[in-house]
Amino acid sequence: MKFDERTYAAWLAFAEIPYDSLIPLIHQIKSAEGIYSEFKKSGSHLHEFIQGVPHERLVSTADEDSLSAFHRMLQDHDIQVLTILEESYPHCLREISDPPAILFYQGNLSCLKFPRKAAMVGSRAASYAGLKAAHKIAAELSRNGVSIISGLAYGIDTESHLGCLDGGSPTIAVMGCGLDQTYPSRNDPLKKQILSKDGLILSEYAPGAKPIGHHFPYRNRIISGLCDPVILVEARIRSGSMTTISHALKQGKEVYAYPGDPLSQLCEGNHLLLREGAHYFTEARDILSDMNWLDNIQYVRQNNVCPSMKLPESPSELAVYKALEKGDLGFDELLKATGMASSELLSTLTVLQIRKMIDPLPGKRYQIRND
Amino acid sequence: MTFEESLETTRIHSICGRLAPGSGLMVTRPFSSPHHSSSVISLIGGGPNAKPGEVSAAHNGVLFLDELPEFSRGALEALRQPLEDGTVSVARIRHQAQYQSSFMLIAAMNPCPCGYFGSTTHTCRCSPQEIRRYLDKISGPLLDRIDLQIEVDAVPVQEINNSSPAESSAQVAARVAAARMLQQDRYRNETFHCNAQLSNSALRKYCALNTETADLLNAAVESMHLSMRAYNRILKTARTVADLEGADNISSAHVAEAIQYRELDQKYWR
Repeated sequence: MKFDERTYAAWLAFAEIPYDSLIPLIHQIKSAEGIYSEFKKSGSHLHEFIQGVPHERLVSTADEDSLSAFHRMLQDHDIQVLTILEESYPHCLREISDPPAILFYQGNLSCLKFPRKAAMVGSRAASYAGLKAAHKIAAELSRNGVSIISGLAYGIDTESHLGCLDGGSPTIAVMGCGLDQTYPSRNDPLKKQILSKDGLILSEYAPGAKPIGHHFPYRNRIISGLCDPVILVEARIRSGSMTTISHALKQGKEVYAYPGDPLSQLCEGNHLLLREGAHYFTEARDILSDMNWLDNIQYVRQNNVCPSMKLPESPSELAVYKALEKGDLGFDELLKATGMASSELLSTLTVLQIRKMIDPLPGKRYQIRND
Repeated sequence: MTFEESLETTRIHSICGRLAPGSGLMVTRPFSSPHHSSSVISLIGGGPNAKPGEVSAAHNGVLFLDELPEFSRGALEALRQPLEDGTVSVARIRHQAQYQSSFMLIAAMNPCPCGYFGSTTHTCRCSPQEIRRYLDKISGPLLDRIDLQIEVDAVPVQEINNSSPAESSAQVAARVAAARMLQQDRYRNETFHCNAQLSNSALRKYCALNTETADLLNAAVESMHLSMRAYNRILKTARTVADLEGADNISSAHVAEAIQYRELDQKYWR
């Protein structure tokens, strides 16, 4: 039985052969199907070539049953294939030291041609403030025609994708497993949303590949390779996000670090980077102007109008608003700062919340909404 | 407790064999705090003789569940019927019984397994999945039936000593008792005694809002995506807030305060 080129590419990628063996092979034989038929021939020079390369999976899946299983997964999940030989393979990925030879994708491949792409990375267990910041930065960049690339994980990744969707630009997710599954599975609705909004889901792993731990740090080189700059929102020093940053530095990308709370361990990575010379920024506009991307007049206007539109109406609202302007406060601190009775403060907080002027934070704290 | 309430509660405790020998009518409200390893049957009732469970033993009193997410999922979901109807039906092969179980549920829990999620002084060590799994033990329908949801942060040691003078517990108890009397007086011609027991039709009668207040509540329901059940329960809470102040009518400040007591699900169970 004969299969299409994608199926053979899935077979080849599933073996996870190191790139320095795979790329010469692909350049020499030019097609995955060719590699397969060569592999099936006994006495082919291919067998000598892959000696010393871990290739058990090439052998164990080189039969019609496995191939038709690959074919079915590609078909069912509408997965397309892009190899390094093709014209449309992203130029920026060719330039990194270990480019993926075969990419699998779902959705709109022309996202990769988007001239402005930024990666946003950060912790899965991020602070509330970090999540809010990620959403806001992503949305503002997106509004200015910047596509956001991230890894579809929980926390900062999720908020970055969501923010980008809110801003209207397509977003790109690079996964650490086969595209027949979603990892983490709770983000399946997000994946569907990304696809429905003209976004792109990428992976170098063949359908059927499980989300194994070592895939993720290696996958991060694609996230940083696809874009410039790379933005760190919130991460500890020992974390996956920091591997993305080290890939980005090796690849010569600009790195931005958001100045999170210096007392929080969750932000220790940010401050390490800042000390070592990463770019400092507090809002998306800083990045836009550094990158010379600030050509959108709409953005400037929006930013000026927004704050003045919502102003406190009553004296008690004003008192609470004034107190919160210096930073987020807990309920008891607000009681002290405003001198109100707790019932009055509670009702004022409700009114401010309904008018979308403040946000409640976990731990009975409140902050001024600034988006 | 009223005389009828005393009778009801004593009857249930008598079936369970919980009455002290020689004691007469129970005059204080029961307080029951089952351990979180309790089975569905021990909570709801059952066994060969279809005996009443903890929810009925707490009839007209308080059922306190500490470490709420540690209870089994089945036990928590089984609470929904007694919470809504005030009765449980226990059916076994030989016996079938319907027990009254109109209790006040008080529950306590941590925001995450390590207890520090959202804390300003400690960093939470839980993964997002762990937090999700922990919170998911409390289903939406159960959460929706809890009227007052309050978050308490840890108090720093130095603040325990130099805290600002607050209302003493005795003063608060006096205010609560006064509000309770007010309610018993207001509902003297009805079949129920307190705000929590208001039916939908009674709600319209006793919790009428003026236009300004209704607008505020509608705006809140819309912006906070509250359910119809939540709407009714906010009304009851607002009635209680007004009673505690001794006010005759519910003002928008009362409603606004009541809304604040339902914000937990907004933050944690989004």
